[in-house]
Amino acid sequence: MDATITAHMPGLVARVVVEPGQQVTKGEEVAVINCMKAEMSVESHVDGVVKEILVKEWDEMEIGVPMVILETA
Amino acid sequence: MINKVLVANRGEIVRRVLRACGDLGLRTVAVYSDADAGASYIRQAEEAYRIGEANPIKSYLNIEALVGAIKESGADAVHPGYGFLSENADFAEAVEKAGAIWVGPPSPILRAIESKCYCRQIATKVGVPVVPGSTDVLATADDISEVADRLNYPILIKLDRGGGGKGIEMVEGPGQIDEVFERVKRIGAMAFGNHDVYVEEAIVKPRHIEVQFTADHGGNVVCLGERECSIQRRHQKIIEESPSPVVSPVQREQLTEYATKLAQGMGYVGAGTMEFLRSGSGNFYFMEVNARLQVEHPVSEYVTGHDIVQWQLRIAAGERLNFTQKDVELTGHSIEARCYAEEPGTFRPSPGTIRGLHLPTMGRHVRVDHALEVGGTVPAYYDPLIAKVISWDVDRVGAIEHLRRALSEFWVEGIATTIPVNLLILDSEAYQSGRLHTGFLDELFAQEVAWDTYAPKRFAAES
Repeated sequence: MDATITAHMPGLVARVVVEPGQQVTKGEEVAVINCMKAEMSVESHVDGVVKEILVKEWDEMEIGVPMVILETA
Repeated sequence: MINKVLVANRGEIVRRVLRACGDLGLRTVAVYSDADAGASYIRQAEEAYRIGEANPIKSYLNIEALVGAIKESGADAVHPGYGFLSENADFAEAVEKAGAIWVGPPSPILRAIESKCYCRQIATKVGVPVVPGSTDVLATADDISEVADRLNYPILIKLDRGGGGKGIEMVEGPGQIDEVFERVKRIGAMAFGNHDVYVEEAIVKPRHIEVQFTADHGGNVVCLGERECSIQRRHQKIIEESPSPVVSPVQREQLTEYATKLAQGMGYVGAGTMEFLRSGSGNFYFMEVNARLQVEHPVSEYVTGHDIVQWQLRIAAGERLNFTQKDVELTGHSIEARCYAEEPGTFRPSPGTIRGLHLPTMGRHVRVDHALEVGGTVPAYYDPLIAKVISWDVDRVGAIEHLRRALSEFWVEGIATTIPVNLLILDSEAYQSGRLHTGFLDELFAQEVAWDTYAPKRFAAES
C-alpha cells in the first residue's frame, strides 16, 4: 500500500528532509514549506518507507499537491 | 537627472514610490510576477512589465529579468523598495551597467557595508560604540570560543552578511558553540550564499532604536530623528514610533552625531538607517546599517515633514539636500502598526483572496499604506505584510488614540490579519507607559488573550 503526503499550506518548498528508502514514523517531518517567509513543517500522517520524492527546493505548492509517496506495511 | 523610474518591487511599497514619482513629475514603470499580474497598483504605473513566474527567484529576485525590463522600458532609474534585491550589490551594479541610476548607495558602497564586520570596524574607527564582540569574521569554533571567553554569556553567533533577522542564534554557554555555529553556517549558505560569522554579546531586554538619515553626493548628512522599533516578533517589527519615548534630547543629539559619523565614515549616499541597541542601563550600541528605504519610514515623515522617498529620488538625481541638521525639528508623535496576513494568536500565515475590505478613515492624523483591494490575492510566496496604519498627533497619547480608532475600523475579510495583535499591544498598560523592549510580545502573550475582544468592528451596513 502506498500513502501520499500532500502539502497542507501553499508556498514554496524550503527543503525535503527525507531520502528514498528512509523509514519514517507518523508525525515525523518529511519536508518544510515556506509560506509567506514562515517555515511550516510537513509531517507524515502514517508510518512507512519513503518510496518517491515528488518535489524539490523552490517548487511552488498549493494545498493538496502530492509531495512524498510512502510505502506502508 | 532622472526621467523614468522603474520600481523593482511589489505591493504597498510600489504604490508609495509611485506616489513620490508622481509628486516629482517622473514617469513610472512597474514590474510584476504572474502572481501579481491582476493587481491594480500595477496599472497605476504608466508602463508595466512581466518579469516571471510567481516564485520570487524567477521574478522579483531575478536580476536578468529585471535588467530586461529596465532596457525595454528605457527607465533611467531603479527604485528597489525594501526586501527582495533592495540591498543587493550585484543588482545595483547590474542597474548601473545597464546605464540606469540606482536609487540607493552606489554598488561599491553597498558591497562593502553588506559586511557587518566592516561596519563594526568603521564604527570603532569613528568612535561609535558597538556591542562587545568580534570585529572580524571568525573561521572556526575555536576562534569563536576564544572571543567568547572575553565576553559575558549569552552571546550571539551572527552571519556577517545576513539580514531580516535570519542567521542570528543565541549561545547560552560554551558547550553550545559547535552546534549553533554549524546551524548558522547552514542558514548562511542556504539563504545568503555566504556563511561567514562573527560574535556579539547578547544584550538582555534591549530596546531597538534606529536613526533615519539622508546623505547627498556632496557629503552632507542630515538625520531625521530616531524610531523606536522594540515591539518585535522573531526579529520582525510590529509597531514602530517616532520619537522614542525613552530618548532624551541630549541622547538624540548623541545618536544624531553617531549616525552622521557612521554615514560619513562609510561614504554613504542616499537615505538609510543606522540601527542601535539600547541596553537596560541606557547605553547605545551601533548594530547595523540598513541601506534602503525602510518599511517604517512614514513615522519619520510624519514628525519631520520630509518626504523620504522624494529625497531618495532627488539625491539619486544629483540634487543636494536643501536643509541642514539645525532645520530638522521633530513635531508631535507618530506610530506605525504593521498588519500581517497571519492568525493573530499563532502567527500562522494566512494567504488568500480578499473578499471584503473597509479601510480606516484617513486624514491629517491617519495614513494607511497598502495595496489591498476586494478580489485581490495575498500570495503565499511573498512577505506577509499587507498594510501599514500610521497615526500622528501632537503627543504620544493622541497618536495612540488615533491608531486604536483607525485599527478598530480596519476590517479585512477572506484572510486572517494581525490587526487584533496591534490593538492588544496598544491597549496594554506596558505599551501606553512606554516600557518597551524586544521581548515585549512574549511577555504579553504569556497570558491567555481573548482575541474576540480585539477584533475590528464590522460596520452594520456591510454585514
